[in-house]
Amino acid sequence: MLNDSAPRRVTSASEAISGIPDGASVAIGGHTLRRHPMALVREVIRQRKRRLHLLGWNNAIDMDMLVGAGVADVIETSYVGMGPLGLARNLRRAVEAGRVKTIDHSESTGIDMFRATALGVDFLPNGTPLGTDLMTFNDGLVEVVSPFTGRRYAAVRGVRPDFALIHAHMADEYGNVQLDEANWMDNSVDVYIARSARQVIVSVEQIVSSDHIRSHPLRTVLPRRVVSAVVHAPFGAHPCCCDARYGYDQDELRYYYEASKSPQKFEKYLQSRVFNIEDHWGYLDRVGVVQLLEAATRAIAHTEGEPR
Amino acid sequence: MSGYSIEELLAVTVSRELRHGELGFIGLGTGGRAFALVVGVPSVAIALAHRRGVDFTAQYGVAFEPDIEHSPHCFEDRNLLRWPMAGQIPVEMALDGFKRGLMDIGFISGAQIDRYGNLNSVAIGAYTKPDVRLVGAIAQPDHAANAARTLIMIPHGRRVFVEKVDYRSAMGFGDGPGHRERLGLIGGGPAKVFTDLAVLDFEHESKEMRVVSLHPGVSRHRVEQETGFSLLWPDNVPQTQTPTDEELRWIREEIDPARAFLTGRIF
Repeated sequence: MLNDSAPRRVTSASEAISGIPDGASVAIGGHTLRRHPMALVREVIRQRKRRLHLLGWNNAIDMDMLVGAGVADVIETSYVGMGPLGLARNLRRAVEAGRVKTIDHSESTGIDMFRATALGVDFLPNGTPLGTDLMTFNDGLVEVVSPFTGRRYAAVRGVRPDFALIHAHMADEYGNVQLDEANWMDNSVDVYIARSARQVIVSVEQIVSSDHIRSHPLRTVLPRRVVSAVVHAPFGAHPCCCDARYGYDQDELRYYYEASKSPQKFEKYLQSRVFNIEDHWGYLDRVGVVQLLEAATRAIAHTEGEPR
Repeated sequence: MSGYSIEELLAVTVSRELRHGELGFIGLGTGGRAFALVVGVPSVAIALAHRRGVDFTAQYGVAFEPDIEHSPHCFEDRNLLRWPMAGQIPVEMALDGFKRGLMDIGFISGAQIDRYGNLNSVAIGAYTKPDVRLVGAIAQPDHAANAARTLIMIPHGRRVFVEKVDYRSAMGFGDGPGHRERLGLIGGGPAKVFTDLAVLDFEHESKEMRVVSLHPGVSRHRVEQETGFSLLWPDNVPQTQTPTDEELRWIREEIDPARAFLTGRIF
């Protein structure tokens, strides 16, 4: 790139996450068990952040792990569950004990709270939650009337998170972030989440050259102007799946789910998978190359007659 | 081909509700028993409708018209990316389809339902310090507010069929007749409820839940025992129509030979 004075954005997870103060609002990308920024989530826990307000539109192991580690006071989303495994047990315990406050959304209002800010407006009208208890308990949903038609809507308040944590496929050193063409579009909301936040930390599977980025500009989802820091984290969504790059690590997800059964077991899990490890590279060593490659290269079975 | 599972009976029954030219939305959110009810049963129902010449369009979240007969065994991204389908739609645009009133049918469930078809998938007990915190509303409110009609699949039981849901995460007929109209909701609300005991609908004037048919071998007494509020009963309650041999053969040999949809054996 000719503009050589452009700042370099690549840094370590430790450095990038160290800028998040206790009490910050932090939005998390990803959907169900798909492409959550897990390496960044584990670093947030490793640095023992406290009193965070977490936002997302559809969350799972990411928020459950952060809540189980005592990092969050408030969660704001439409879903926290473990997909096919069942309820999010850490979250369940914390909410039932009154330790964590929930701000509930439907999927569309959970998206619209980010999309409003990304579109440059402070709310979006959405009729979906009218008449539900989402309106009763979420003060970011307020009934309004269209000045044009008289139609009633909920105004979904736009949010401005202090930070967004996103996982993607590649970036150059300047922070231009790309996805492979093969990407599952449940994560198309990541772009709105990033564009709603004050600071955006993106972990990527690969750091690539600027020439590579610039020769495939259609793949750029976040240009460098909206990205604050890039962290190199291969398997950075593990044990979630990450588009065509790797599938679920089902063994690791089951191990996590079993560990989340009690606070004692979960503490042991955190010791083994987060605290007694220096960084993401140490985490990958701990999980082990065989298990990682299994998630990445396991035979794909999807035709009739095979066990599903 | 005698004998059939309750899921097969439900799939066949739901398939008879699907009309030519309609669009239905199926979420891919969850697993186990809930998966069998809100993904498995509707999927098999749609594939059955196709075999009867009904042009019904299935949208699974971002996946537009995938080959139901070639669904993956595991809904991880890389399998979904290889699932033959007409197109992928960015998810915010897919959900905008609800707000625009494009969805004819939403298939939904919940942990609680009341006489007006309101659902709860958020919390049992007091919301701020609940007895059981559930997964959250997900797209259930989007279906319930905006689809032309919703079909609800839910297990029968007194803890599920309650006088009043502890938290209303999805609007049925709200507090009763006129409530949806006062709010200006664009969808028509719940049309039918399918359980392991019966098929139910909502009486036109009162909007209260009413029995349509009882599954073979199920008594009125049993349904009353398993329902925490009083249902409306027509003078004569027919038996739910049972699957034909041809329908069972389609399900077992062509649509779901691995029994993945109807037993929820997916990850």
